[in-house]
Amino acid sequence: MRIVVCVKTNYDLQMVRVKGREPVLEALPYKVGDLEKNALEAALQLREGGLECTIVALTVAEANAKVKETMKEALALAADEAVVVNDPALAATDQAALAAAIAKAIEHTGGADLVLFGEGSTDNYSGLVGSRVAELLGLPQIGYARSIAVADGAVTVERSMDDMIETLQAPLPAAVTVVSEINEPRVATLMNIMKAGKKPLTELSLADLGLDAGAAAPQKAVLSNLAEEQDRKHIIIEGDAATAAAGLVDALVKEGVLGR
Amino acid sequence: MEKVDVIVVGGGLAGLSAAYGLAQAGLEVMVLERGDYPGAKNVTGGRLYTSVVRDLYPELWEGAPFERAVTREAISMLADGRMATFEIAAEEFGGRRPQSFTVVRAKLDQYLAERTGEAGGMVIPKMKVDALLTEGGSEASGAGGGPGASGADGGPGASGRVIGIRAGEDEIGADVVVVAEGVLGLLSSEAGLRERPAAADTALGYKEVIELPASVIEDRWHLNPGEGAAQLFMGSVTKGMMGGAFLYTNRESISLGIVVGMEQLRSRPDELESWQLLDELKTSPAVAPLIKGGEVIEYSAHAVAEGGIAKVPRLLGDGYVMVGDAAGLSLNALITVRGMDFAIASGYHAAQAIAAAKAAGDTSAAGLAGYERALRESFVLKDLQTAAKVPALLENQRLFTHYPEAVTKLMADIFTIGPGPTEKLSKTGFGGVRRSFLNLATAKDALSFRKI
Amino acid sequence: MADILVYSDKPQVARELAFKGREFAAELGLGLSAAALGPESAAAAADLGGHGADRVFVSDDAALEGLPTDVVAEALAQIAQEAGAEYVLLGSTRRGKELAGRLAQKLGAGAVTDVNAMAVKDGALVGWRYALGGATVAEERIDTPVKLFAVMPKTFEVGAPQAGAGEVVTPALSLSPSRVTVGGRTPREGESVDLAAAPLILGVGRGFAKREDLDLGRELAAALGAELACTKSLADFEWLPEDRIVGLSGAKTKPDLYLSVGVSGQVQHTVGISQAKIIAAVNTDKEAPIFQLADYGIVGDLYQVVPALMEKLKSL
Repeated sequence: MRIVVCVKTNYDLQMVRVKGREPVLEALPYKVGDLEKNALEAALQLREGGLECTIVALTVAEANAKVKETMKEALALAADEAVVVNDPALAATDQAALAAAIAKAIEHTGGADLVLFGEGSTDNYSGLVGSRVAELLGLPQIGYARSIAVADGAVTVERSMDDMIETLQAPLPAAVTVVSEINEPRVATLMNIMKAGKKPLTELSLADLGLDAGAAAPQKAVLSNLAEEQDRKHIIIEGDAATAAAGLVDALVKEGVLGR
Repeated sequence: MEKVDVIVVGGGLAGLSAAYGLAQAGLEVMVLERGDYPGAKNVTGGRLYTSVVRDLYPELWEGAPFERAVTREAISMLADGRMATFEIAAEEFGGRRPQSFTVVRAKLDQYLAERTGEAGGMVIPKMKVDALLTEGGSEASGAGGGPGASGADGGPGASGRVIGIRAGEDEIGADVVVVAEGVLGLLSSEAGLRERPAAADTALGYKEVIELPASVIEDRWHLNPGEGAAQLFMGSVTKGMMGGAFLYTNRESISLGIVVGMEQLRSRPDELESWQLLDELKTSPAVAPLIKGGEVIEYSAHAVAEGGIAKVPRLLGDGYVMVGDAAGLSLNALITVRGMDFAIASGYHAAQAIAAAKAAGDTSAAGLAGYERALRESFVLKDLQTAAKVPALLENQRLFTHYPEAVTKLMADIFTIGPGPTEKLSKTGFGGVRRSFLNLATAKDALSFRKI
Repeated sequence: MADILVYSDKPQVARELAFKGREFAAELGLGLSAAALGPESAAAAADLGGHGADRVFVSDDAALEGLPTDVVAEALAQIAQEAGAEYVLLGSTRRGKELAGRLAQKLGAGAVTDVNAMAVKDGALVGWRYALGGATVAEERIDTPVKLFAVMPKTFEVGAPQAGAGEVVTPALSLSPSRVTVGGRTPREGESVDLAAAPLILGVGRGFAKREDLDLGRELAAALGAELACTKSLADFEWLPEDRIVGLSGAKTKPDLYLSVGVSGQVQHTVGISQAKIIAAVNTDKEAPIFQLADYGIVGDLYQVVPALMEKLKSL
């Protein structure tokens, strides 16, 4: 069977710097999103559990010139092949268009028996793309999986909801999004990283998928995107543990937030 | 043990230049970089003399993310609250083929890493190499070693053939390991390929990147758009210690840093740190207006090799070559500070030699000997040889105390109108010159300076 | 007449959406519809009417048993059509977010989830949410004919219910059973904690090396009289329950004092503490981003600093 893991290649968010209140996004390195690493690991564990499958890492890049390099990370971690939809028209798109491109790309590259997503991307965390894709492909979907089992043409998922743990089952093909508690993604070995460069990577444009640039037009407008204002004192209290601890408690008492 | 053709330890300019050439030659090459990404924590001040590397990989430099072509050079001497600046703006520095550019390493190194990736090389960041593996199962562990472990007894060259690396759980073999680990040389010294750099041959660099709008930079340093300035500071900025401060204008930031002799800094009783020296420079009346309104967006500290050619280790051996700072290929000639050009050139020549050695099926020291030959024929070792006496000169304390004091005093005297009668300019000038520059010590200095 | 349609499977969230939706509807000159689905829909309908809905669409169609996302999405799509909904407001719970994608796709609607503030601007609803992993707050407007916002619970306050319920509408829905079957449901255990309302919070992170070491944190929390909170990773390890998470995927807190111990300060966590009056931090790494956000910091080993803090607190 064919497992497609949908991967978002993100800015390394730990590197985002705020200038004034504006985020500075130029020259940031990209990486495979953390939750997508969980999804890749989940696919790998299914295979290691005896499921015969091809693992495809699929990304729709927002005109990211470095996307092929970034996808090598997914290939090194788990995937047998990668599919990259990369198109300048995707530079300022949103989840609906991403989902449309993902759905088309899956249809275009051999379909999927199981489509895996992270529960959200580490940057926007909208959590929309998985269910949009499921709707577009007419698939049953189970979100927030903390364990996945595949047997007898069905996927059984234990999922982590706000107030309960649910066990759900859906017939394949199906879409599943995963939460980070599902596994601890392993670190790729050097040889796997090396071999990743030689695995097949298919690059597609929107036109290849029968989509025009209009399909990438965003449905939303971002009116502003600024860091919250913070005005902090930044006082480091020096000294050994006892001195510093005493100094901190004294300071907090003086602030009126302790010892009232 | 799985194996690739070449492993490059360190993804700086030397390592990436080697990897790019090797990938182009069709070899399977893996670059292991400790930082979050190539160039992430590099403290290099930021000027690359492109004049000497332009013909190596000419296709690379056309689209390279350079900051500004340096058209203004200045040296400022500081002493006793005075700053005397000598500045040259020369059209020949710029033009169609500028001799040097300011660079931001985070951008330049990532650019080279991308080109290397496109050429088929694999650049792997966040990957710390723990040891170089040598033949006979001897492994010099970076973690468990330490002084007196392997290498220290035998001295450089005592180890067997370098056969690969260990990084965490992974052991990977290679026909050739390119050692591009930078100035500290931890892995290569543990493996007995070189000695650890001595504190006396090492300086400590501390640099801040201060963000300023392009127009402000161009106004403050009198630059046309795209042009840049380089400024060196010496004298009281290092409190008499060997070293100086540097300033380079980038597109929308300046790199301001200080380099101080490690040994002199360490032996101070007041536990002064290099960043404190830089802070004093930043708040000094002469420099504060230059950086006013700028925000420090990054800072970093690192060692700088100052040993000159005398401290260049054996450049290659069975299964390995040393490039860039790891091979001590840097030159502080007081007025020109070079390292990046040497790094690129050494990486280039290493790649050519390794490709040839691989083709000939001999990656022993003999097979790789072309690397050292090429370096000797190139500007790298020639310029280092020319400057062979410089490191000793830099130990002359007067460079950092007496001369800045004398020059600034003389300049100040010339421009001083005191309350009493003013001397003839010629008297002030010649008097100052005679007092400060014509004595036995300076005469000896003058003789030694001729060796530069 | 065009409407705002509100729905959440959580009665309290549905009330919040209806109560605030009433205000938006008045401002925009729209009607307010609500949907109540599933076996308990009749009771919910009266409640929602009392909280401001002009019309409540009610269905207890057998396919809605257990509120499977795909069937709920289909039901809401049909109701939205019948109500002529221009805006759909959902709760941004996990169930709500999963629903949002399906429903938006069915309605051709643009969607914004995790909304933590909304307002009418230039004749349209706009929503605010964290972006770039919490580094920024984005203000977003939706430009499709139907617009969907999923709003975080407790974003809006609920006022007292009014007498006079809205009109109850029983739409003729055409629903097929879900393809997803439920094997079991287990409520999450653990005492419930309201971090959003806590005046003192001790936040713990991966600086704690072992699960047992959290006892040190519990002791300090007790000594401070603080609620214990954690980063997402500690909940992922199941060292602490999920309702102790502060940050993008947990509580947004507003304490007088947030003391963080062994927390590096990734923005995904710190979005939940940025409203604290005073932030203090203990971390071994002086470069840890938490210090950028802290009023007071100690660079040190928590295993030494925490006992020292407790010792000092005894003297208060």
